[in-house]
Amino acid sequence: MLPRAAWSLVLRKGGGGRRGMHSSEARGGGKMSPYTNCYAQRYYPMPEEPFCTELNAEEQALKEKEKGSWTQLTHAEKVALYRLQFNETFAEMNRRSNEWKTVMGCVFFFIGFAALVIWWQRVYVFPPKPITLTDERKAQQLQRMLDMKVNPVQGLASRWDYEKKQWKK
Amino acid sequence: MAHAAQVGLQDATSPIMEELITFHDHALMIIFLICFLVLYALFLTLTTKLTNTNISDAQEMETIWTILPAIILVLIALPSLRILYMTDEVNDPSLTIKSIGHQWYWTYEYTDYGGLIFNSYMLPPLFLEPGDLRLLDVDNRVVLPIETPIRMMITSQDVLHSWAVPTLGLKTDAIPGRLNQTTFTATRPGVYYGQCSEICGANHSFMPIVLELIPLKIFEMGPVFTL
Repeated sequence: MLPRAAWSLVLRKGGGGRRGMHSSEARGGGKMSPYTNCYAQRYYPMPEEPFCTELNAEEQALKEKEKGSWTQLTHAEKVALYRLQFNETFAEMNRRSNEWKTVMGCVFFFIGFAALVIWWQRVYVFPPKPITLTDERKAQQLQRMLDMKVNPVQGLASRWDYEKKQWKK
Repeated sequence: MAHAAQVGLQDATSPIMEELITFHDHALMIIFLICFLVLYALFLTLTTKLTNTNISDAQEMETIWTILPAIILVLIALPSLRILYMTDEVNDPSLTIKSIGHQWYWTYEYTDYGGLIFNSYMLPPLFLEPGDLRLLDVDNRVVLPIETPIRMMITSQDVLHSWAVPTLGLKTDAIPGRLNQTTFTATRPGVYYGQCSEICGANHSFMPIVLELIPLKIFEMGPVFTL
């Protein structure tokens, strides 16, 4: 569990409405103070407060150097400054997760459970089917519908060839 | 009648129903257009790499998507009103039939040229002959002539019912204490089915309507009146 100092930070900062989870929770309790608890979202990618607020001497010196010309900064210094300002890069922020596997697993599980329930109902609950649903009766009904020329314009009877006594090709 | 798993409308047996089918096609095209547009916009929203959500002040787009739906609605309303008034045109019916809804059967009265009154009950499953349609066939059908304007006066003796025959484009509520009128002219002979279309109790699904349309010459010979 998070130690007391981190909890007090979490409670005090509170997290703004849109900012969602706290960064320390997001990292599984990795980073604690002196880091702020802003968690960037894809629609709010660059919060105003810098990620790291309490800087040691080395970092403060770097901040002073930042006030000068940026062409003087080495690549490593730029990366360090970025990490001081922001929690994650865009690539890290937009990373995919394995959540979809859990979701699909639960979906299939419940579909399977529903299928079992329906099977049980078929065996123990449903009454016998009406007599008109046997194949013989259905064929007789279809023949009667064709004799009555049901929907002869674009529907059923229009697809039956009355001369050749078969469905039109 | 509809065949199993039929999704679309039945073929028309009266001129009004032909108009309704055309109107349905027109309205459906508009619906498909709007749905496709919305789905496309949704797809773009879900797959965009852009992240700014604070866009406002798009006055031109807001104007367009206010004016365009109004125009679309007018395009739907004009044919609809045209058909609505067409159904009320004066057509001087030759025959008047009264249809009275009961729980759970229909009574038909042919009182223009004599007195014929009969009940029309659904055939129970045990009474079905091979080839009969379950839940649709009745013991006494309503026999009528084709190509003549017919007036139906519809009412109920107890609760609300509704007298509907889809292939003729008819659906009229049967209201106790009120006489509703609908007229139609059938263009093809045949047997046409409908079902009660207003919830009326336990057997609401089991009081169908069956019309048997026969040529006028045969109708005049009087098969209807010799029960």
